[in-house]
Amino acid sequence: MATLERMDWYDLARTTNWTPKYVTEDELFPPQMSGTFGIPLEKWESYDEPFKQSYPEYVKVQREKDAGAYSVKAALERSKMFENSDPGWKSVLKAHYGAIARQEYQASQAEARMARFGKAPGQRNMATLGMMDEIRHGQIQLFFPHEHVSKDRQFDWAHKAMDTNEWAAIAARHMFDDIFAARNATEIGLMLTFAFETGFTNMQFLGLAADAAEAGDWTFSSLISSIQTDESRHAQIGGPLIPILVANGKKEEAQKMIDVALWRSWKLFSVLTGPMMDYYTPLEHRKQSFKEFMQEWIVTQFERALLDLGLEKPWYWEQLLDEIDWQHHGMHLGVWFWRPTVWWDPAAGASPEERAWLEEKYPGWNDTWGQCWDVITKNVLDGNMAQTYPETLPVVCNMCQLPVNATPGNGWRVRDYPHEHNGRVYHFCSEGCKWVFQQDPARYEGHLSLVDRFLAGQIQPMDLGGALKYMNLAPGEIGDDAHKYAWAEGFRERMKKAS
Amino acid sequence: MSNTEVLKPLKTWSHLASRRRKPSEYEIVSTNLHISTRPGAEPFELDPNVFINRWYKEKRDASPLKHPDWNAFRDPDELIYRTYNMMQDGAETYVMGLFDQFNEREHDKGLSPNWAGTLARLYTPGRYLFHTLQMCSAYLAQMSPASTISICAAFQGADSLRWLSHTAYRAKELSQTFPDKGFGANERKYWEEDAAWQGMRELMEKVLTAYDWGECFVALELVAKPAIEEAVLRKLGEAARHNGDTLLGLVIDAELADGVRHRRWASALVKLACDAPGNAEAIKGWIAKWEPLADRAIDSFCAALPDVADAAESAKQATRAFRRSLIGL
Repeated sequence: MATLERMDWYDLARTTNWTPKYVTEDELFPPQMSGTFGIPLEKWESYDEPFKQSYPEYVKVQREKDAGAYSVKAALERSKMFENSDPGWKSVLKAHYGAIARQEYQASQAEARMARFGKAPGQRNMATLGMMDEIRHGQIQLFFPHEHVSKDRQFDWAHKAMDTNEWAAIAARHMFDDIFAARNATEIGLMLTFAFETGFTNMQFLGLAADAAEAGDWTFSSLISSIQTDESRHAQIGGPLIPILVANGKKEEAQKMIDVALWRSWKLFSVLTGPMMDYYTPLEHRKQSFKEFMQEWIVTQFERALLDLGLEKPWYWEQLLDEIDWQHHGMHLGVWFWRPTVWWDPAAGASPEERAWLEEKYPGWNDTWGQCWDVITKNVLDGNMAQTYPETLPVVCNMCQLPVNATPGNGWRVRDYPHEHNGRVYHFCSEGCKWVFQQDPARYEGHLSLVDRFLAGQIQPMDLGGALKYMNLAPGEIGDDAHKYAWAEGFRERMKKAS
Repeated sequence: MSNTEVLKPLKTWSHLASRRRKPSEYEIVSTNLHISTRPGAEPFELDPNVFINRWYKEKRDASPLKHPDWNAFRDPDELIYRTYNMMQDGAETYVMGLFDQFNEREHDKGLSPNWAGTLARLYTPGRYLFHTLQMCSAYLAQMSPASTISICAAFQGADSLRWLSHTAYRAKELSQTFPDKGFGANERKYWEEDAAWQGMRELMEKVLTAYDWGECFVALELVAKPAIEEAVLRKLGEAARHNGDTLLGLVIDAELADGVRHRRWASALVKLACDAPGNAEAIKGWIAKWEPLADRAIDSFCAALPDVADAAESAKQATRAFRRSLIGL
């Protein structure tokens, strides 16, 4: 061979730490941007990324990946795949793109923070590629939905959502800002790449890719599978930081970062991905339930990754396992009920066949959530549509920014977890969200939830119309039932018999 | 709500729809992507006084460089991620081809031991310098007030990793022909101790800590990078050709093509910035502040370069010619 192998020179390319002379180490790496916990520069040099890739390999492989994803899109552009797809599936696409595309772009800024302020040279190089990856994910996930903007105004939200005060956008910003955009280089490594990307994006991208393939949406399936191949590289940026933190007596800090990020990710996924998988995806195309995906990707795989690195299961593990059974059902009910306040058309997913599937996957569903849907179904069939809409705002959590809710029925146990801090009472949905606040109150204390803003008079007039205006939602883009309530028809005969 | 107009689908994103022109792929995927610049909102959806909110408000939003619409910036090359990789994969195939062919011809064996010593001292330690460009570009990528600017800076950061990678590759390869010159071993020592590098090191350590985004842009794009490109790339390339090192000359030419592209977006941003009052003065002020440090860096590096007449003077003139070409200043 007349050229060198990558590993002949790779180590030199990541031997780039030097001792600053004309500025101090803390000026070059401000502790609050770097997240150095008092660990000096040379201690970070043992960092060893498990997934190694050089610049020339990167541009070659990425060029090929893009060629693949864009050619699938181009080949299927004239097919009627989108037009013929189920309205529930279209809602999956709209919710996904609006919540994810620009947040992926924003992740490039966080990767850039690691590329600049990380003290480990290998981390800086990998994050440089990660910064590029996230530009890809932002750009490609804007280009693909743009094809649909002329058919459906809700697709405008693939770009617009993050500019608005729509409640799900506030929740997404609060969570993503907290776990990466507003974090330092070490925190980003642990919270974004390790906790979020090895855990949750795996599930979002592999799980949804499986559902998309089942649904025949090859464009979306190949797109997000392709994205996942990048994630599997840059998600490994955080792991090698953990032994460095542990060796320097900072295990507790590392554990806390991961516990915060994992809890916060769970809550957002319970409102975003849970309804997509268990309610919006057409029944015949559901590969696994949300709970099954969670058990596979979070409970089993993530738990193993944590223990492998010498960390512990988060203190709230049992509560998380419990919530996997029910939290997203409540989130879904809320999203559907408050459907004018979202940029997609929620699919109720409550036809007789779908309810049978839910009962099978979540035994007891009919006795709990089913009771609420019974009332909604009756109102729909009786034409009492006003009864199927909300008159008030829900109580939202001051951490996850999502409605406080729990399983209805005989075991009804919804409760608020209030916490007083500096004379203000904060409301939380769970011990987990309250605990996150208590770890660093100054980080969150001055933030107002949507309901706080409402009570402070920032939303005028103080009714649904005023709230929609504040959320930048207008007729033509506000959500309605995806199937125009057709799912309720399966119950008409039964209702007649019952009466 | 029954009297309200019902919004109809548009041909593109609503933020681009008011313009007559059909948006390009570049505009569809690159414009108005920042989430942290929403008017009237904190950069990040957390407590207004959390450290990172203060950092962005002070170093980005309160920068002396101000414009009512930074989102109007467009990269003159309209590069997007997809096209960046096409372009740079081709460029890397070319450079890897050079490495392959010159290795095949045993190019390094034809280099004089003296020149090899110069390479060990003045070429391969450059990976530290290129890494500072990588880091500083990544800072601009996270601090720029518009996504169209950040994306240019991010691509430039990746290009800097490219230059670094070529240099690391050659350090290893040269170590095989010249095991006694310290290739792959002494670069950090040269970077930290050799007089030739101290000007560049001081310049970049200080530019890296110019945390106001506007000052960072000016110091990096208009002063430091031109100095590095003219001295550490172009003049070293001239010395290489004079010393029979055709390979290095060609590799540097390939890298300078990236540098020319970087100057195109930087020039376009200066032009946009100078539409707004006060910016030309701010930019000139920063150039005046940083130019002496860059000049000293050029002087100390070029003083060590063999066989290039008037290297420092000619490099400094070239940086000034670039700055003179900037429209609006």
